Amino acid sequence: MRGYLLKVAGGFALLALMAYLIGTLSPYPEMANLPLFTLSTITRIFITLLISLAWGVSFGILASTNRTASIVITPIIDLLQSIPILGYFPLVIGFLFAFGAIGIELSVVLLLFTSMAWAIFFGVLGAVKGIPTNVVESSKSFGLTGWRYVRHIVLPAIAPAVVSGANLAWSDGWFFMIAAEYIQYKGDVVVPPSGGLGVLLARAAYHYEDMNLAVVLLVFITTLVVVINSLTWHKLMERANKGTFKPILNIDLSGIGKLEARAVSDLDLEDLHLPKSFSAVAQRLRRYSRAERLIAYSSVLALIIFIMFSEAHHFPSIADIQAGFSTPPAEFLPQLPMYILLTMGRLGVAYLISLAVAIGLGVLAAENRLMASIIYPIYDVGQGVPILALFPVIYLGLTDFIGSQRAALEVTCVVMLVLDMIWYMFINITSAVKNIPSELREVGQLFGFRGLKRVTHLVIPAILPAIVTGSILSWGTGWNTIIFSEYLPQSDPAVPAVSVPGLGSFLDISGYVYGNTVLLVFTLIIISVIVLSMEALIWRRLLRRFEKYKVEV
Amino acid sequence: MPALEVKNISKTFVEDKVKVKALDDVSFIVEDEEFVCLVGPSGCGKSTMLRIIAGLEKADSGDVIFQGKPITGPSPKISMVFQLFGLLPWKTAIENVEVPLEVLGMPKKDRVAAGMEYLKMVELEGFENTYPHDLSGGMKQRVGIARALALKPEILLMDEPFSSLDELTAKTLRDLVLEIWRRKGEPPNSMVMVSHNVEEAVYMADRVIVMSPRPGRVVGEVKIEIPRPRFEHRREPVYFRFVDEVMGTLQKGNHKQ
Repeated sequence: MRGYLLKVAGGFALLALMAYLIGTLSPYPEMANLPLFTLSTITRIFITLLISLAWGVSFGILASTNRTASIVITPIIDLLQSIPILGYFPLVIGFLFAFGAIGIELSVVLLLFTSMAWAIFFGVLGAVKGIPTNVVESSKSFGLTGWRYVRHIVLPAIAPAVVSGANLAWSDGWFFMIAAEYIQYKGDVVVPPSGGLGVLLARAAYHYEDMNLAVVLLVFITTLVVVINSLTWHKLMERANKGTFKPILNIDLSGIGKLEARAVSDLDLEDLHLPKSFSAVAQRLRRYSRAERLIAYSSVLALIIFIMFSEAHHFPSIADIQAGFSTPPAEFLPQLPMYILLTMGRLGVAYLISLAVAIGLGVLAAENRLMASIIYPIYDVGQGVPILALFPVIYLGLTDFIGSQRAALEVTCVVMLVLDMIWYMFINITSAVKNIPSELREVGQLFGFRGLKRVTHLVIPAILPAIVTGSILSWGTGWNTIIFSEYLPQSDPAVPAVSVPGLGSFLDISGYVYGNTVLLVFTLIIISVIVLSMEALIWRRLLRRFEKYKVEV
Repeated sequence: MPALEVKNISKTFVEDKVKVKALDDVSFIVEDEEFVCLVGPSGCGKSTMLRIIAGLEKADSGDVIFQGKPITGPSPKISMVFQLFGLLPWKTAIENVEVPLEVLGMPKKDRVAAGMEYLKMVELEGFENTYPHDLSGGMKQRVGIARALALKPEILLMDEPFSSLDELTAKTLRDLVLEIWRRKGEPPNSMVMVSHNVEEAVYMADRVIVMSPRPGRVVGEVKIEIPRPRFEHRREPVYFRFVDEVMGTLQKGNHKQ
């Protein structure tokens, strides 16, 4: 307990010192608001977390215990979570203009919610489905039904998933904070009246173009995230993990000395409750019948129409749609095929880089203790960095270095994608390597697989399913990131924004600059079509093919 | 010269910072053409002992002497059958048998021939190109046995090979293994099996070595003098007498604690 209090005091003192130094040393007056804005961001993410928890737990339990609800809810939520945060932009506009200052705060919370809520929902869904049949049957035979069943069986069973889902939601919140706290609409920048860290970071990077300040703020945010994580989530996760049916993802930051032991024990993550966890992805790809898909698509279509209605206060007529296609940036429509190719190209390059690096690092970390003790700490701290916040920093650095803004943005875009995609690949691959059953390792040893033979005969085939899962997840998150990173907003409306041609920047320009909802939705549909066809044509086939490779124990 | 000589093996594991003595000064020998079974409750270190013989684990002290030399690592002359089969899920039945031969540098043609031969020996003809995922437990273990035999080992180690199978399948496979072992002039020469099933041990082994848990020690051994094939004697009093004797030795080991 005393150690814990010391840690709290130490963390607080460190952060306070950093905030004080930034506030006094920086030439810009608004940096003095840093402590207040920090509090504001923390409060905002925390409130959104509470809302996400309430929504995720109730809907998760509903969708996993009620068949009818499951058929309707799960596919819809599955599709909603694959829509990039900007896709919810039209929904936010309504709040922005209807409620003034409160409306802006609500919009930010709503945007954050659309990126935070899913992790909890899918975690709960997976955990309820993971309750062993014998427990379900025995409880039924003892007459536990209805609320009693939820209270005595479901709630205890989902507790760890809720905690880890909440933790992931929390990280997602920090990840998307910079996108949510700095909303651009038709040349105006809208920031929440109570301020926030995302506001400060965006100001430093976009407005003042002050690289040093941006890096300092980034370090501050990372430290903040790491301190909060080690003070709250690690303790919670440790506690929640007791008395569960299966081990869950638990990455401990405290004490790097323990890492080596952890590389062997904690990281054999049986089933991770990642935002878009393997089970959810696999379920989606395998389970859905045609009818369910139909329901999902029509519901999403209905939702889109509803959103457009709420914005325009009337249902979109053919004329509205035609108007959308004839107002700016409609003049760029003929170039859309090229945009698609360019964006896919960026994603492809970033994917190949992440794949190669993640396989290399993942295998090294899992096979070699020394490497593990180097890689895991980097990875632990690295996951505390809100990657989207890196965007302006990398961009500013590269502009100085390369000289051309366009070229700098092009490189930044790929770097951002790699940083984002690699984490999903890495965590999937590492856990797969760790999960190779000891018997198979012994077989390899006994029959003399060494060096390359060991890698080709044992390690690579064993991680193939995980590579496919990691690929699906990283492409999913990649689409989210590319929309953010093909377009760099400017705080001064007179200065034209820097962008590289692509589907993401087209979507941004439609939404941010012109507020052209029709084209925004049109681009989103194109993206969904690409994502779904890649799933159907590539990933689902691979997943089915490698299904047999999974080691049954 | 005995086929295998286990001399004063000790081994300690550290689990959650607590030292657990898995094996304490264990010694026994395995004669030529002998079938030895290690029996004991869980935690008596019998599987660890088998892994030390296989060269998969290193003992803290003591030696296992095989063909005049201490064992330092895995060798094709000592092969192993695993409790959970240990098949590579991404290889077909025949490829699973072939992989160890490939490591030894056998040309593809010979490998395929050997694969077919040993799959036939375990009565798996027609399933060469099936993946483990689509095989039943008993069939998987047949592949596991074929893979171990294809190396023509001097000594075949079996780690509870039948404990994850249903009793009917286990019965069939026990007789299959005994039949293969008893073929004159063909490997494997000697067998070492780990089991916690006393009836199974008495049915199969020439000698049963009884171990006690924490620390794993040899508490006694019982020479099973039932003529083979034992299938004919499995209902006779002499069979149950040996079962009782092994049981008694196990009890004695427990009381010593």
